[in-house]
Amino acid sequence: MSAPTPPTVSLSAPIFAKLTPHPFLLRTLRPSEPGAKPLRTNGRTPAETRPLRANPSSLSHAHGSALVRAGDTTVVCGVRGELLPVDRIPQFRPLPPRSATAAAATGDDGPQTIPDAAAAAGGAAIGRGELKDYDLLVPNIELATGSAPQFLPGVPPTTLAQTLSTRVCSLLHSTRMVDVEDLRVWYKPGGAGGGDSSGDGDVTMTTEGAHDAEGQEEEPERVVAYWVLYIDLLFVSFDGNPFDAAWAAVVAALRDTQLPAARWDPDREILVCSPADKRRLNIRGLPVACSAAVFLEKELSESGADAAEGRHWLLMDPDRSEETLCREVVTVVVDCSDGETRIKSIEKHGGTVIGRELMRGFVGVAEKRWREVKEVLKA
Amino acid sequence: MTVSSAPEVAFGVLPRADGSARYSHAGYTVLASVNGPIEAQRRDEHAYEAHVDVIVRPAAGVGGTRERHLEAILQSSLSQLILIKNFPRCLIQIVLQVESSPENDYVNTKLVQASLNFALMPTLMQTAILALLSAGVPMRATATATAIAVSHDKTVVDPSPRDVETARSVHVLAFTSQDDLLLAESEGDFTVKEWDDIYEAAKKICCRPAPDGASMQLDDDDSSPAAVGPDLRQFLRSTMESKVAADLHWK
Repeated sequence: MSAPTPPTVSLSAPIFAKLTPHPFLLRTLRPSEPGAKPLRTNGRTPAETRPLRANPSSLSHAHGSALVRAGDTTVVCGVRGELLPVDRIPQFRPLPPRSATAAAATGDDGPQTIPDAAAAAGGAAIGRGELKDYDLLVPNIELATGSAPQFLPGVPPTTLAQTLSTRVCSLLHSTRMVDVEDLRVWYKPGGAGGGDSSGDGDVTMTTEGAHDAEGQEEEPERVVAYWVLYIDLLFVSFDGNPFDAAWAAVVAALRDTQLPAARWDPDREILVCSPADKRRLNIRGLPVACSAAVFLEKELSESGADAAEGRHWLLMDPDRSEETLCREVVTVVVDCSDGETRIKSIEKHGGTVIGRELMRGFVGVAEKRWREVKEVLKA
Repeated sequence: MTVSSAPEVAFGVLPRADGSARYSHAGYTVLASVNGPIEAQRRDEHAYEAHVDVIVRPAAGVGGTRERHLEAILQSSLSQLILIKNFPRCLIQIVLQVESSPENDYVNTKLVQASLNFALMPTLMQTAILALLSAGVPMRATATATAIAVSHDKTVVDPSPRDVETARSVHVLAFTSQDDLLLAESEGDFTVKEWDDIYEAAKKICCRPAPDGASMQLDDDDSSPAAVGPDLRQFLRSTMESKVAADLHWK
């Protein structure tokens, strides 16, 4: 008499994945057949990212916009400029006239000049203070209801949304992507046609006006207003790795942004914009974010120090189901546009797997990602 | 003005909390209370592990997005250290109140600031660890954290707000007591090589090997600790030793 065979329960792959996601992902990453490639449940290899697609100028009413898709994560970014007159800014500190600033970018001893940074980035050092002090960049992230099941309707912004907007804001300031000179609106009393707002690439007429004013030695040129850039991001569909997509959308939208030329009308005492005359922002560099999550073979044990025992996989560009299974995440923002790889930000928390060696290797992966994203955003 | 005071800690400052600590270092003073394991709310309840709830309250005003971000970072780091699997369906609540932060005339101190406060993060981390130790919450390891700012050619350990403002890059690194990198947050402009140097410097501060009793004095004389920053692990160990000694004094 043969031994009774144990009853077997065969489940389809989606049910298996739903019931026990961790063993399911482990099983696909560690295939039992020899020679099979380790794959994730979404069919990608651990180091494979989802192709990024960007569609700039997708919104007609924003000054700049972009729609970025990475797999099923879709984010729309709109940049809208609003004029902020300086008399509405509390504790506004007037700037020295533009000609003086340009002439003595490094030797200037203005109150906001930062010696170290001035040497590094010229006159932009002053700008960093203005951007921060007057809140000229206002990013906001909304995770739309229904973009993923965990986002419920009618709740205040989730921790994720708040964290994301802090990270975007922090990175916008630390990378100094936006040149504050683009956001200043100058006015030169007595100059022909008033002060033109454009920082560089001035039309001939304005240059002549500047010469006239220098000869007359009248009232100095002054800033009358700033453009405030409201950078709004909306996640239409959310499938993991929100920061990479959000940041790519911000970069694409800012590169797409065209602000109308604004000038001060002294007779009517209002700011006047000419929509026909638009100019692009000077965006410095091309920082690209690259994220990965660490999937552990064993979940954290109850006690003892064997937390990092067992194998682990670095899953690039994790999707939503993978993010729920991984605790440790790493995000590196790199910029290789100067030829040399400069790291703009490193964020790693939630685990102890990624040490020094892995981090070095990951920067190499991020460089590869940078080239991919550069191709997409240039198109 | 540079504030480079030695770290100080007082345990059990809040009588009704399960554990509390007031820690001050580099001009920042943070008060932490830990309650737990306590019953979790239904929405926070997890069937297999404890929920770690971190609340950061700024020195003035109510918390904004920046505090939420700090909370998220601390929460994911502390969940790694606390043995959360031992307390299913429970809540361990850590409240961190910033009591004072270094004043600075140069840096604009707006109440609501969106970007991350790097200089504060190590103090928050350290206070949370000390309060968890004071509450007797079982942990896998302890951790030590430090902040380093890199200006043009010099590195500043425990930077002041002014240092952070002028720095080219700012870094926060935390290591567990097993010398693993627990947390790494960096911002600014730097290369892999620079990050490596920072890693080395931070590891020296956070993970200095415990000196043997006899050679301790000699070591201090040799390596001039003022140059490399405080020895945080030694500080953690010695304060806990003195606390345990005081607690067991009645025996």
